[in-house]
Amino acid sequence: MSTTTTGPTGTTTPTRHTVHAVRTPDGALLHATVDGDDAAPVTVVLAHGWTLAQASWDDVAALLAPDVAAGALRLVRYDQRGHGRSTWGSTDPVSIDLLGEDLAAVLAELVPAGPVVLGGHSMGGMTIMALAAAHPELVGDRVRGVALVDTSAGQLSHPPRTALERVQERLLPAVGAWAVAHARRVEGWRRLVPPTHPRHRAVVRGILYGADATDAMVARGAEIMAGSSVRSFVAFYPALGEHDKAAALAELGTVPVEILVGDTDKLTPVKHSGRLAAAIPTAHLQIVPGCGHMLPQERPDLVTAALRRLLP
Amino acid sequence: MTSTIEKPAPTAVREVHVAVIGSGFAGLGMAIQLRRQGIDDFVVLERGHDVGGTWRDNSYPGAACDVQSNLYSFSFAPNPDWPRTYSEQPEIFAYLRGVADRYDLRDQHVFGAEVTAATWDDAAHRWDVETTAGAFRAKVLVSGAGALADPSYPDIPGIESFAGTVMHTARWDHDHDLDGERVAVIGTGASAIQVVPAIQPRVGSVAVYQRTPPWVIPRGDRPTTPLERSLYRRFPAVQRAVRAALYAGREFLVIGMAKNRTLLAPVQKLARTHLERQVRDPQLRAAVTPDYTIGCKRILISNDWYPAISAPNAEVVTAGIAEVRPHSVVTRDGVERPTDTLVLATGFHVTDLPIAHRITGRDGRTLAETWSEGMATNRGSTVAGFPNLFLLVGPNVGVGHTSMVYMIESQVAYVGEALRAMAVEGLATLETTPAAQEAYRELIAERSAGTVWLGGGCGSWYLDEHGHNTTLWPDFTFRFRRLTKSLDRQNYVGTTERETAGATA
Repeated sequence: MSTTTTGPTGTTTPTRHTVHAVRTPDGALLHATVDGDDAAPVTVVLAHGWTLAQASWDDVAALLAPDVAAGALRLVRYDQRGHGRSTWGSTDPVSIDLLGEDLAAVLAELVPAGPVVLGGHSMGGMTIMALAAAHPELVGDRVRGVALVDTSAGQLSHPPRTALERVQERLLPAVGAWAVAHARRVEGWRRLVPPTHPRHRAVVRGILYGADATDAMVARGAEIMAGSSVRSFVAFYPALGEHDKAAALAELGTVPVEILVGDTDKLTPVKHSGRLAAAIPTAHLQIVPGCGHMLPQERPDLVTAALRRLLP
Repeated sequence: MTSTIEKPAPTAVREVHVAVIGSGFAGLGMAIQLRRQGIDDFVVLERGHDVGGTWRDNSYPGAACDVQSNLYSFSFAPNPDWPRTYSEQPEIFAYLRGVADRYDLRDQHVFGAEVTAATWDDAAHRWDVETTAGAFRAKVLVSGAGALADPSYPDIPGIESFAGTVMHTARWDHDHDLDGERVAVIGTGASAIQVVPAIQPRVGSVAVYQRTPPWVIPRGDRPTTPLERSLYRRFPAVQRAVRAALYAGREFLVIGMAKNRTLLAPVQKLARTHLERQVRDPQLRAAVTPDYTIGCKRILISNDWYPAISAPNAEVVTAGIAEVRPHSVVTRDGVERPTDTLVLATGFHVTDLPIAHRITGRDGRTLAETWSEGMATNRGSTVAGFPNLFLLVGPNVGVGHTSMVYMIESQVAYVGEALRAMAVEGLATLETTPAAQEAYRELIAERSAGTVWLGGGCGSWYLDEHGHNTTLWPDFTFRFRRLTKSLDRQNYVGTTERETAGATA
């Protein structure tokens, strides 16, 4: 974040920035950054997606910077466990519920009081659902609004339908375990096709981005993902498949909820957001044309606008 | 003087043959050389309260040497018991104290004696040395004051207003508890990359303020095995052979740094791979990737620097510091980081040696004044206009790739040769000539041309304000040894005691 405001006296007021390692009950250290004044009337907490890092919110953070600098809000971003700078705790295997508890730990340490608006992208959205399921008392009193971006309440995997899918299902855990055990070798292979490579970018664009995404957006996302470890790819994949929070969505119905999804999102297709909107009476659904699974980068303006609508 | 004085007054001047300033590797090495030559009438003036010099003062957490201990030690005092291949500060400090004891040098020391002024008395042919522990008068003055002696403090607006603790790595406050604090570390040089990994696990958060990132290569450090140690103890030749191999291996770097820069490419590749392996975050990776040729600034070695700055409670700040406020550091991008303690890892006064301001020569000008147009010396050791003065670790004696102790031993032997010549010829003074200095300056300039330090695309503490190499020896270190093996008597003018007597008669 890089913004200054000129105060009434004409002196420049710099924006406060602190870095924290939030310790979870099982010993993970979550890298969190806080921008803005502790006295701000509301705190926005953003949770990123699978194999990404808090840097995936940089564009949104840049658009919120004037509000932060003006003291209108405080912004908390953190790296989910096993992502970015955050470490793994002792819990194995990991689950989305665990990420919900991690978010609870971040709130307890960095936002112990005052209104909160939560924003979650993809797995970060699921993290918020898990928090609401485990700590319904937080919703309404503390959490005043929720933005769910390119995410899902469950049914991301289905039972194998063909012989090939059955073989895949059987082999995947072993392949994943092998990759983690031989992470150094796998990392070597990954370096052979770095995110600067056109083929690498083409794959990333094909899976994650919509038709309107610029090459710069794709390059940036590819770089962030290239920073993720083999283990975070492998360990969270089954957690995403097991994620099922359809029953917990009602808990979010007491606060305004903004739901956004790209119309060509391949990972959490539009129907997932449709199901969310149907289950949450207070939800407002926005389907963004020409976009894929990376709305915080593809349309940071719309994501920021949605967050602003949620501010009390 | 009257006979009623029973005790020497505190202002009594102590006369010695040789006064040595400082008791680090240079001062102790010189003292041992004097002993060997049968000169017992000398004093070591040490401002601290123990021997050890740089290795006494730099006790910050994580302080260690970048050169293997088998090489970074006196050739004549091998230590078979180094606990690690690369030693940390406590071991090196202990080694130096052990050397002082083994050669029985402590009684030759005056501790708490900071030299405030040393002035050449041309009539008496003596150096008048004023210290905080009394006055001395010496025929010969040897400065082993060192280059990494006086901390350099950054000139940052508002730093004096800071309400928390400020400490330089070379003046570490061990009573200050950093646990849980928000710490700012200024600098990313050799000290910073050692202190940050040492404090990162226990501080609340650490922000490292970086101007230019260093190139960092893996540190091949390991504990020594009992077998190695007993082998070294029983067969000292084995340790000498290991030392020779380490020395030779490091000299190969000179070929790349001073002769053919393309040979540095594999070293840079090694450093880049090290960086990419250890730093996953693309933003951090970009921030800490240097944009200059490796070797231009000192190559640093560490296995825990990159992990430390990638830790959950760490960040590298590249925006540049605008000001320090009582409880925070503000960068030029308008970000304010609340800060409890400021650690200055900002290095030393290297190109402007502080001791040079305190030594006054024949014409009444200080060494610093004489050098204001550039540091001129003969072999980094002697200066025209400063008779009977010898500098250890003076200009162009520094090395970035190998052991300073090798250079120090070369210089100490050179001073020994000079003292021998003075004794043999019965000289009252020995002084180098401006012509010799000019020839030596040309030699340094010629050898420095085309080196990575001048052409690598960086600024560094190797270069003075004019961009000249005034600190590094720009060639193989064995060439320096050859150059200082015997006294280049033709480059010196000597006056005998008799001439002196005749001149004043």
